[in-house]
Amino acid sequence: MSKLPYHLAGPLHLCGKSRFIADEPELKGMLYAKFLFSPVAHARIKKLDVSEAENYPGVFKVITANDIPGENMIGHVIKDEPLFPTLEIMFAWQPLAMVLAENERCAELAVKRIKLEYEELPAIYDPEEADARQEWYVPERKIECGDIVTAFDNAPYILEGKTTNSGQEHFYMEGQRAIAIPFEDSRITIHCATQSTMEVQEVVSHVLGIPAHDIVVDVPRLGGAFGGKERAATIWASMAALGAFVCKRPVQVKLSRDEDMHATGKRHPFTSLWKVAYDEQGKLLAYDVQLLANGGAYTDLSVAILERAMFHSDNTYYVPNMLIRGRACRTNLPPNTAFRGFGAPQGIFVIESILDKIAQQLQLDPLALRILNAYQNGNITPYGQEIKECQMASILAKLATNAEYDKLKSEVAEFNHSHTQHKRGLGIVPVKFGISFTTALLNQGSALIWVYIDGSVSVSTGGVEMGQELSTKVAIVVSRVLGISTDKIRVESSNTQRVGNASPTAASTGSDINANAARIAAEKIKENLKEPAAKLLAQQFGHEAEPHEIVFAEGKVFILKNPESAISFNDLVRFAYSERIPLAAYGYYRTPDLWFDREIGQGHPFHYFVYGAALAEVEVDLLLGEHTVTKLFIVHENGASLHEQIDMGQIAGAAIQGYGWCTMEDLVWDTNGHYTSANPSTYKIPGIRDLPEVFKVEIMPSQSLEASVFGSKATGEPPLIYGLAVFFALQAAVQEVNPEAVLSFPATPEAIILAQEHRGN
Amino acid sequence: MKDKALSLPSESHNNRITFFMNGQQITEELPAGISTLDWLNQTKQMFGTKCSCNEGDCCSCTVVIAKAVDDKVIYEAITSCLYPAAKLHGKHLITIEAMGTPNALHPIQQALLDHHGTQCGYCTPGFVMSMFALFAMHNHPDKEAIFAALEGNLCRCTGYQSILDAALEISRNYCKEDLIPAWCSEVESKLLEKGVPAAMLLLHKDSNRLVSKYLMPETMKLLFDYLQTENSAVVIAGGTDLMVQMNIGRKEFPVLIDITCIEELKRIYLQSDGLHIGACVSYAKMFDSELVHNSCPHLHKLISQIASQQIRNFGTLGGNIANASPVGDTLPLLLALDATLRLQTELEMRQLPIRSFFKGYRQTALQKREIIKEIILPLSPENSYVRTLKSAKRKSVDISAVVSAINLQRSLGYTQNACLAFGGVAATPLVSRVFTGLVNNKPLSSLDAAQIAKAVAAEFKPLSDVRGSALYRNKLIENHVIIYLSELQKEVL
Ligand SMILES: Cc1cc2nc3c(=O)[nH]c(=O)nc-3n(C[C@H](O)[C@H](O)[C@H](O)COP(=O)(O)OP(=O)(O)OC[C@H]3O[C@@H](n4cnc5c(N)ncnc54)[C@H](O)[C@@H]3O)c2cc1C
Ligand code: FES
Ligand code: FES
Repeated sequence: MSKLPYHLAGPLHLCGKSRFIADEPELKGMLYAKFLFSPVAHARIKKLDVSEAENYPGVFKVITANDIPGENMIGHVIKDEPLFPTLEIMFAWQPLAMVLAENERCAELAVKRIKLEYEELPAIYDPEEADARQEWYVPERKIECGDIVTAFDNAPYILEGKTTNSGQEHFYMEGQRAIAIPFEDSRITIHCATQSTMEVQEVVSHVLGIPAHDIVVDVPRLGGAFGGKERAATIWASMAALGAFVCKRPVQVKLSRDEDMHATGKRHPFTSLWKVAYDEQGKLLAYDVQLLANGGAYTDLSVAILERAMFHSDNTYYVPNMLIRGRACRTNLPPNTAFRGFGAPQGIFVIESILDKIAQQLQLDPLALRILNAYQNGNITPYGQEIKECQMASILAKLATNAEYDKLKSEVAEFNHSHTQHKRGLGIVPVKFGISFTTALLNQGSALIWVYIDGSVSVSTGGVEMGQELSTKVAIVVSRVLGISTDKIRVESSNTQRVGNASPTAASTGSDINANAARIAAEKIKENLKEPAAKLLAQQFGHEAEPHEIVFAEGKVFILKNPESAISFNDLVRFAYSERIPLAAYGYYRTPDLWFDREIGQGHPFHYFVYGAALAEVEVDLLLGEHTVTKLFIVHENGASLHEQIDMGQIAGAAIQGYGWCTMEDLVWDTNGHYTSANPSTYKIPGIRDLPEVFKVEIMPSQSLEASVFGSKATGEPPLIYGLAVFFALQAAVQEVNPEAVLSFPATPEAIILAQEHRGN
Repeated sequence: MKDKALSLPSESHNNRITFFMNGQQITEELPAGISTLDWLNQTKQMFGTKCSCNEGDCCSCTVVIAKAVDDKVIYEAITSCLYPAAKLHGKHLITIEAMGTPNALHPIQQALLDHHGTQCGYCTPGFVMSMFALFAMHNHPDKEAIFAALEGNLCRCTGYQSILDAALEISRNYCKEDLIPAWCSEVESKLLEKGVPAAMLLLHKDSNRLVSKYLMPETMKLLFDYLQTENSAVVIAGGTDLMVQMNIGRKEFPVLIDITCIEELKRIYLQSDGLHIGACVSYAKMFDSELVHNSCPHLHKLISQIASQQIRNFGTLGGNIANASPVGDTLPLLLALDATLRLQTELEMRQLPIRSFFKGYRQTALQKREIIKEIILPLSPENSYVRTLKSAKRKSVDISAVVSAINLQRSLGYTQNACLAFGGVAATPLVSRVFTGLVNNKPLSSLDAAQIAKAVAAEFKPLSDVRGSALYRNKLIENHVIIYLSELQKEVL
């Protein structure tokens, strides 16, 4: 294989020439949207009067629920979320009306002239309070195995506790945006920053009361998403579509950073109540955990996220007796939504906190404890899936070697012995991450490939490019099948006309599903081309060949035993066209063997698992509460990588994102349910100075039989969890001065200072 | 002699400014008060420069300004979302559009591509421009210099390691000369030729805009003329506070008077009463000034902890003081050093100790039509101990939860003239009342740091807000005191 390509859009990005929606010349007649956002978190609407705003100069129309021709409903699986609430406001900054005007300034001034009357209702922000009132979207979910009652009855040691983690703002650099353009009749084209073209199309079709084929959704690329544009983008796309549909003019909806941070949902905060039994060696015997997800005002994806948290409550550990219960709770925050990891980091955080606690109680080495309890092949997860290719022991061994663990441990001990204001700590987090949408039906994908007569290739999949370099991976796969270089291959925008019914680009499945579909389509084309190839080779060189002997490589086509007598791919394509051979193909892929029965909590929800582990060393200034990540080691198993540098980028980027989540990213809301950390001045994501001083990522190739396209594995989400190693390292450092310290989440300087005086649970 | 093209007779060319953009000289009519970013995106329909926050905090909108300072041209990265386009007058604006093409990448772009330093690409033009400014000014910058240049640029995808590796590679393999394109060098000589930009007025009668008049006087006389005639006028220096109020707070400023063209306000000089720093001196200029470095090293150090390079390049000391934020980072140091402000109205100049300047939450002793002209920092005697501490959630580009400064003299193991000041603990920055009494004229070795720290903390009743709880702030006050006193005591031992 020739040299792997760089990021295919890289040169455009680097020159500021790549196209992002709404960063482009304005369309003639475009209307700009500004919203009236709710000033309160929970209220009954008494009156919404937009007449004065509508008469404001420059305003074209003020859109409210009354203008919706179809259903006022954007809830997807569970239909509980209106586009515009008409009776009950459910969260602060919920959009209530949309002003469309010649420019944003007019629209903004007109918004002030909308009159809203409401009666405030009591609001809930805490999941435990919501849980107590049974504010659940669906009844409790349960997964169990073994017999926890007996196990707890006979247990030598039992620990109980409560663990909480906070949410996280996505902070995609490109904010929420959509442009909708009316077309003939009632048809409409929507360019929107979404990870899910099908969902936008389907929801807009309900809102406008028109069939899906009247709606084209096109996504050129996203400036980051991280789950924040999976469901949360639908509302803004629907707004734009409604505006364009009603006004018959192009409409742009583009949230400012502050609007975006106030009005959109985030990673779910969880509160988890747990009880664990273990023996004197530290072997886990039983685990009983209740996960409460703070879902915000509407269901959104909360149930699926809760479910994934439950699926990951065991992390990499075999526990014979488990009871995992989950309840997704309705509160009056903006609807919390998908965020890289999708509940798994929250579930893993709980059991990792517990393991550190057990290690402390039994004075065991935290790494040894994790090896002791690690899954072995043949073990069955609590939801009934067999563990087949677990290499946890060798991953942890490699991690220990890379980090020189024993030496590091004694260095840390020595440092802590000789320093008072500064302390060091180590944290270890192994990861097992299940790949596949746990909603089995989403595990399907399509691709459409055209080979044009000059030999250049156009590939469309349902996948959305958002920086994960899905396009590069798809191009690599197609190039490997057709034996042509990636510069011959254009990976197109994701467009519902070319690829419909596309599952969201999410759950790390982007390349598994879409690159596999593209592979299948490319293979079809290759099959089609073999016959004309045989014919052309015979014509040109007099070599006779069976179709299966024909090889496509390096832009050439030849017979395996006669590589010197080759025709070019381009010549073949032109010839095939004249022979009236189809030069396009549709590829369809569905992930095999997936099922899960929610009633009994058993099944085979994942195609395979991704494994890895991280070890962090930190140095804390106890007086200032500040820290430095002095070392971060990661070992990550990922099959036969399609492109190591791309995977490296995903791992490093996700780990830093996870590190931000558990340390500096502090989501704060006030007593009225308004986020007060709703701008980058008060909400801090990591910057370049937050890089670990030593940052070593090792990708561990594996010959996984379960892995996906060309033996590769997904990388998007699992590495986010590595960031948590920093949290546990910080906790260990603080425990040097206060063994009872429980660090609150996120571990801000404030948390570190206050934890030093924390006593007990 | 002024360059013909750039000297503007103020009346006839009202709404226009002249400058270079990507190598070409242009004269543009601007709406008053428009930011460089809006001007690029909206007026010029140039979209390579990205808007991600519109408030200075992400640097995705970074562009580079080349300007003549004394007899050389300097390149500075700035956040275009907060930089009024009017300030471009007489300068060279360099944007991503001119840096390279996909088929002929600039070496910085090539290095970023080679290291996979771009993923979604939204932050990428900003990084390229920040790196360009860095490498155009410095040969082989070290990791610390790279961090300083890039600390404001946020990237949510890469986790930065790949970007850092790219920057280190450039640093190893290239010199300025290799990286400054020919069209930039050509403009350099034209920038040097020109002389002081002429005064101008930028008027805009569109009632829809937040600003309808933007005035840029180049003399104090003209400034006060404008202040006399324009009743609602507000002074703007760098604009790093004011433009945020406009972009995000949507606050209207009918008339803005930009004072950064007035040379008198941009000087740094030494006199017997201390170091004089003009109100419009930028953080970057102070940081680079030998005078500041020698006579007030702790101001130099503190500046490196303020904002990002982009903001430091045009945010001013006068702005930090006049803005009177309780967490303005320079204020505790100025209080501890007992700095004096020179305040100027049309008719009189008065000197006021900064300790009498802050009157209440964001309220100052400034009178109508009065500006801060200079800040005078008394020189610290040899035996001084001056330190500052800034506590915030993130290592860089963060607003303080608590910021403090200490100033005292040591003599034969005794302390004298001790002063400790804080920001973030009350509605205004404050000097501790009890500290002086507890430490002055005491032998250093006898001081009980923990007890003094508690006494000082008891003096303040900070608020809880998004940057920290009252309890945490109180702990920080205590711990800052402990850190200072233990360092002092260690020195004695
Ligand atoms: C991303 C970002 C990060 C920041 N980080 C920090 C930080 O770490 N620490 C910190 O302290 N600040 C920080 N700031 C705030 C700001 O940059 C500083 O306060 C800066 O010093 C303001 O100076 P300026 O010239 O930009 O002020 P301007 O915005 O021009 O003016 C601020 C106010 O002062 C008035 N004013 C300005 N000059 C004068 C004068 N000479 N006489 C009378 N009135 C005057 C103006 O009318 C206005 O009301 C940050 C800002 C941003 C956007
Ligand atoms: S857009 Fe974020 S700093 Fe300008
Ligand atoms: S590449 Fe996406 S934000 Fe930097």
